[in-house]
Amino acid sequence: VTIIHQASHIILLYVNMAAARRHRRVAASQPGFIPLKSDLDGKSLSIGRRKRVNKNKKKNWNKYSDINDVEEFLDDVRLQERATGGLIADKTDESLFFVDTGTKESVLEPETGKKSKPLRIDLILQPTSNVAPPKDILAHQRPNAKKERRIAQKIQKLTDMGVLPRRKRPQKVPVKEKPIISKDPDRNFYDIWSAGSPETADPYYLEQTKKKLVKRPEKMNEKPSLLPAVEVIAPGGSYNPDFLSHQALLLEAHEVEVTKLKAETKLARKLAVNKKEFATQETTFKEQIEGLVEEGEEPENETEGPEAVADADEDEAVGPTAQQEKKTEKQRKREKDERIKELQKKAARQMIDSRQQLFKLRSIETELKKREQKTKMRQIKRKTQQEAQKTLPRRLGKLKFQAPDLDVQLSDELAGSLRTLKPEGSVLKDRFKSLQKRNLIEPRERAKFKRKHKLKYVEKRDFKEIK
Amino acid sequence: MGGLQKKKYESGSATNYISRNKARKKLCLSLADFRRLCILKGVYPHEPKHKKKVNKGSTAQRTFYLLKDIRFLLHEPIVGKFREYKIFVRKLRKAYGKAEWGGVERLRDNKPAYKLDHIVKERYPTFIDALRDVDDALSMCFLFSTFARTGKCHVQTIQLCRRLSVEWMNYIVTSRSLKKVFLSIKGIYYQAEVLGQTITWLVPYQFAHDHPTDVDYRVMATFTEFYTTLLGFVNFRLYQTLNLLYPPKLDVKGETELKAEFEEDYAMDSESYLEKLSALSASLARVVSSAEEEEAEMDYFPVEGEDMEKMEARVKAQHEQDKQKKLFEGLKFFLNREVPRESLAFILRCFGAQVSWDKSLCIGSTYDAEDETITHHIVDRPNMDKQYMNRYYIQPQWVFDSVNAKMLLPVEDYFLGVTLPPHLSPFVEEKEGDYVPPEKLKLLALQRGERPVEEDEEDDEEEEEEEDDDEEEEEDDDEEAEEEAKLKEMEEKKSQGKALPVKVTPGKVKSENRHRLEQEEKAEEKRLAIMMMKKRDKYLYDKIMFGKKRHVRETNKMVAKRKALDEASKADRKKKKQKKQ
Repeated sequence: VTIIHQASHIILLYVNMAAARRHRRVAASQPGFIPLKSDLDGKSLSIGRRKRVNKNKKKNWNKYSDINDVEEFLDDVRLQERATGGLIADKTDESLFFVDTGTKESVLEPETGKKSKPLRIDLILQPTSNVAPPKDILAHQRPNAKKERRIAQKIQKLTDMGVLPRRKRPQKVPVKEKPIISKDPDRNFYDIWSAGSPETADPYYLEQTKKKLVKRPEKMNEKPSLLPAVEVIAPGGSYNPDFLSHQALLLEAHEVEVTKLKAETKLARKLAVNKKEFATQETTFKEQIEGLVEEGEEPENETEGPEAVADADEDEAVGPTAQQEKKTEKQRKREKDERIKELQKKAARQMIDSRQQLFKLRSIETELKKREQKTKMRQIKRKTQQEAQKTLPRRLGKLKFQAPDLDVQLSDELAGSLRTLKPEGSVLKDRFKSLQKRNLIEPRERAKFKRKHKLKYVEKRDFKEIK
Repeated sequence: MGGLQKKKYESGSATNYISRNKARKKLCLSLADFRRLCILKGVYPHEPKHKKKVNKGSTAQRTFYLLKDIRFLLHEPIVGKFREYKIFVRKLRKAYGKAEWGGVERLRDNKPAYKLDHIVKERYPTFIDALRDVDDALSMCFLFSTFARTGKCHVQTIQLCRRLSVEWMNYIVTSRSLKKVFLSIKGIYYQAEVLGQTITWLVPYQFAHDHPTDVDYRVMATFTEFYTTLLGFVNFRLYQTLNLLYPPKLDVKGETELKAEFEEDYAMDSESYLEKLSALSASLARVVSSAEEEEAEMDYFPVEGEDMEKMEARVKAQHEQDKQKKLFEGLKFFLNREVPRESLAFILRCFGAQVSWDKSLCIGSTYDAEDETITHHIVDRPNMDKQYMNRYYIQPQWVFDSVNAKMLLPVEDYFLGVTLPPHLSPFVEEKEGDYVPPEKLKLLALQRGERPVEEDEEDDEEEEEEEDDDEEEEEDDDEEAEEEAKLKEMEEKKSQGKALPVKVTPGKVKSENRHRLEQEEKAEEKRLAIMMMKKRDKYLYDKIMFGKKRHVRETNKMVAKRKALDEASKADRKKKKQKKQ
């Protein structure tokens, strides 16, 4: 009963103040408006003298018009909407009030434990507003009927033609194809050499779009070496070899070892210290007194010195002597005659020689043949050398190719049967060396691990303590 | 003399080559990637003729490539993939560092990958080109397939290699194209003739691995990567030529036979099929199942004269080949557990035999050791406890030697516990006058169809050898005689040209041995002919004669050595016998 009374009081109060203020005028436009906050009741509103301002300027409109009341009102509206989901004035009485019939002792439910209590973080995150979120933002943009009709017609037409709208089309799930990895053990092979359909597209287009593979240079198809890919081991390398072929292989291996040993001993010999050149007491003493004892000889050298210099000076002075006396006319004439005669003699000699060659034709011919023979021989030799070069490993980098050790089993290592055979050497290494030998890869040393910073040794504290 | 002065190293060989580092920079690749690319594309370094010129005056040793090759590499789509991969690794590392596991997974899913199919097609425009180069690929695949899966290389690679090598072996078995086998101390050499191409490959013994440290595994893995792709395509094509299904399937009969009871014990489900294929005991399924293989008959054209002879020779060769293909047909082998199963099964199946082994040894055994129809039991131990009467117990070398001899050798030399005859290399082809080991001579005699000589009569054998030698010498003599005759003719022709005025006076009659006279005359003529030779001909002649003599000398030496050895061993044996007595 008291609550109902209070509500009627509020309404009365509202009616009283409505006429007084502008705020109340705004509120009055909202029929049956009930402000939620109590300070809107007008008690807090200051009633002072209105300042008179010119209102013919737009600036003043903003500056001196008091819109607080409107804003407050609107805030209040929003607050009401948030708190109750609508204006309180619109609510029915039943939703606002209830009849208080005294406290009823409710049976407390036994606490189910912590589970029932929601987390605080969840509570914070729960929506506090009772205003429903807008369902359709574009709800107010209603297209006109004409447009809708047209769209519907278009869709109808398309569906008749068999084109479904995008929304209704069966959605293609983009299946990402994993690219084939060349190492995949389950990969599929196909006939790569079958004659496929000939390319019909414009060659220029293919070239420009990089769809056409660039032609491989002819020279790349040549093999860098004539050696076969798999070199079969000598017959002596059989697991149960014939005696002599085994001996032959052993001899070969032995020769290789001997040459290696020779090179080693040669190097050692060259690098050995010559004992004769060791410093003895005598030589060290001599070295120490060098320049101290031989003073007596020096003056002689000095006397010799200047003479030599003088000699040199004289030599310099003897240059081309000056032109001697002029030749007489007679002398000149005679010299000229001699010269001409000599030339004539030479020409005559040549003439005779060439005529004589006519009789030497056969010998000349043989000489020519010989020469040709020689060049031919040289050509053949060069060609054979070139052919031999083709099977040799080339120098392709810093390191030279080093032939692998011959795989050999000594007579006592040979196994009598296949069961007891102990394989010699490694096939992997054999293949690797074969690749190097055929100039497919350059011989290389394994990159060495280089430490960037020096290692620093520190005793651990525990270790120190033990001491 | 106008014109600009020519600058050094701006033309000629200096511009035709490019150093490795420059090439690498041009392609924007790291050295490892560059090396990989070169191997895949078949670009190999070159040694220039004039190194100093190419090296712009420096004499430092560098690796050079042809500039044209490097320019060609610039167009390769894989180069892009390499760069992508580099970025992928960088991103992955970053994601790991930041512990972004989602990111790591996403990156892993989008790992860049590449195919080598187009490179295979580019390097080998026709199938025959590829087949010619398949030796290397096979050796590499067989090698990698024997590797342990211990992380030296990718497990995937090993699996692929195994699959491809099994496919290849199955093809060789079905096409029956194996020709030679050689057991060496290194590994087993096989030679087959596939579509007219002779293909040799090397298979390492099983479990014979020490990993050498001075081998660049990365390089080998790259080669293998390319070779596996190549071999896959080659296999496909080869299977097509035989109308076989690819990937290979066992035929229905084989599949039902090989249903072992405890299959799971041998291999996982995913691997058991490959294991069954690699057992090689069943034949493969064909696209069109044909009850009988059609043997292609050789076309016969009526021809005359020389062609006729050639034709006959060819027909004979073909006949021999067919006979070799069916070498072990109808025989039933059983492999004891100590013999190398895979190689023996492969070889025996290649020549049409039936093979089986102990059930616990490997998957795919088809009959037990108790089978009464077994004809040959291959054993590699000094003695057996339980022996059946109706089968030969032989050592494995018999199979290999028989294949090389193209005939079934007498089994007596290969019985249990018998000292084996030497295993000769089938890859050696002796020329005339070369030293031929007596075992080979014996074998040749056998091939000719002569009666095999008894082992005990060694003296006879030696005599025979001597006879053989004599024959050879005779042949040599014949050749010399022919030469002499030729020279004589030449001499006569020459002497006809310039007849000299010679006075003839009557002489006394001498009674002389006519035959000897003739011979002397001949010798004299020869001597004269040699004297009359031109200097260069003489030089050549001397060289030839010297070479021949040296050869004969060497051969004689070898024979003498062998004789000495045989005698020594004989003496030893006699001593032993005496001791025993």
